[in-house]
Amino acid sequence: MYDFILRSQEYLPILASGLWLTVAVTFLALVLATFLGLLWALLRTSGIPILATPTKVFVEFIRGIPILVVLFYLYFVMPEIGIDLSAFQAGVIGLAITYSCYIGETFRAGINGVDKGQIEAGKSLGMKRPLLMRRVVLPQAFKIVIPPYANNLVMLLKDSSQVSVISVAELTMQGKMLSSTTFDNLTVFTLVALLYLCLTIPLNIVMGQVEKRMGASQ
Amino acid sequence: MIQFINMHKSYGQHEVLKGINAEIKKGEVVCLIGPSGSGKSTMLRCVNGLEEYQKGEILVDENVVDANSKQIHAIRTKVSMVFQRFNLFPNRTALENVMEGPVHVLREDPKEVRERARALLTRVGLKEKMDFYPSSLSGGQQQRVAIARALAMRPDAILFDEPTSALDPEMVGEVLQVMKSLAEEKMTMIIVTHEIDFAREVADKVLFLDAGSILEEGPSNEILISPTHPRTQDFLRRVTHPI
Repeated sequence: MYDFILRSQEYLPILASGLWLTVAVTFLALVLATFLGLLWALLRTSGIPILATPTKVFVEFIRGIPILVVLFYLYFVMPEIGIDLSAFQAGVIGLAITYSCYIGETFRAGINGVDKGQIEAGKSLGMKRPLLMRRVVLPQAFKIVIPPYANNLVMLLKDSSQVSVISVAELTMQGKMLSSTTFDNLTVFTLVALLYLCLTIPLNIVMGQVEKRMGASQ
Repeated sequence: MIQFINMHKSYGQHEVLKGINAEIKKGEVVCLIGPSGSGKSTMLRCVNGLEEYQKGEILVDENVVDANSKQIHAIRTKVSMVFQRFNLFPNRTALENVMEGPVHVLREDPKEVRERARALLTRVGLKEKMDFYPSSLSGGQQQRVAIARALAMRPDAILFDEPTSALDPEMVGEVLQVMKSLAEEKMTMIIVTHEIDFAREVADKVLFLDAGSILEEGPSNEILISPTHPRTQDFLRRVTHPI
């Protein structure tokens, strides 16, 4: 045990740089994925076929491809058609596109989950669609969506480890490099797991609180 | 003010309204009665375009109602609706529910609207409940907020879709009282209801619907006291003397 703590002190600064990158990748991907996800959800529920159908095809397409393949595609194939992305950029964009589809489906379920009577009430006040969405549907959909959204967030954080395959030196990648130089697999990967938990557990607690507070407001 | 001209409505092959002709004049209170599935609610919901119809026309102040046209929003601001299940916005207080339409749809001055909303809630007996959320109000109170919300739009007419059907029996009266006071002020109202006594007392005209057609229509004391059609007689007997 003492040994573990001693070596941890040595490894932690190295892993910390990876942790920082993990947070950065996750945060940027989340912001982008949330924005895009909302866009997909609005397009798919718009009732306008020319907007809804291509979005549906795109979302189903991306959902059917493993994240790793999306990342390889962005990092290795894009340069061949003249779009050069750094590993970091490709990682963020790949995660964001993939998760925008998951989050978009979550949002869509939330929008469809709002009571039809609410929509009729809004319409009968003369609301046009944008106002109806903004004042009636989205605030109520938001509440429905918090638990699955929080789940997506935690999954995204964990899946950010996938970008190590295109050489982004985030936490998992740093761990792998560190273990291959020290051969101290036990200490290194235990630390890596603990560092992930340091992020995911508080995240779950915060989201639980948010959910509780939103529930109490009614 | 509101006219139905040979209006037909169907869901796929199934025709639910088979050529409705009716006219509701300004200041008139018209009750739609009839058995479940006769098309009363559907007929009402066609007036503000919550349902589409396939043939014929509905006119509101000479404007054709078309659920897919741009004018429908303007028509809805002039013809308010009160629902069976209230449909108040659960994330807004009673006062905010009443203010929602005038402030965000009609873009009126919030300060002025707030005063009006307070007056309306006071009028329906909810002065003390203005800052309550719908979930902490009884059904009767929620429906009175819904009526205040409809009135806040300063509509030319209000559509009531079975406004007391989802209420506990002891709360029916408080809602009917409010509606009666509106009738006395000559608010134009179309009311789908099973409250025969209320219809007899308040309605200027009663339409009896059965299987998608208007079987009988006329002044409430004629239709509801001495109906001529056997189907109407049978329906009224069942409703007023269930045992």
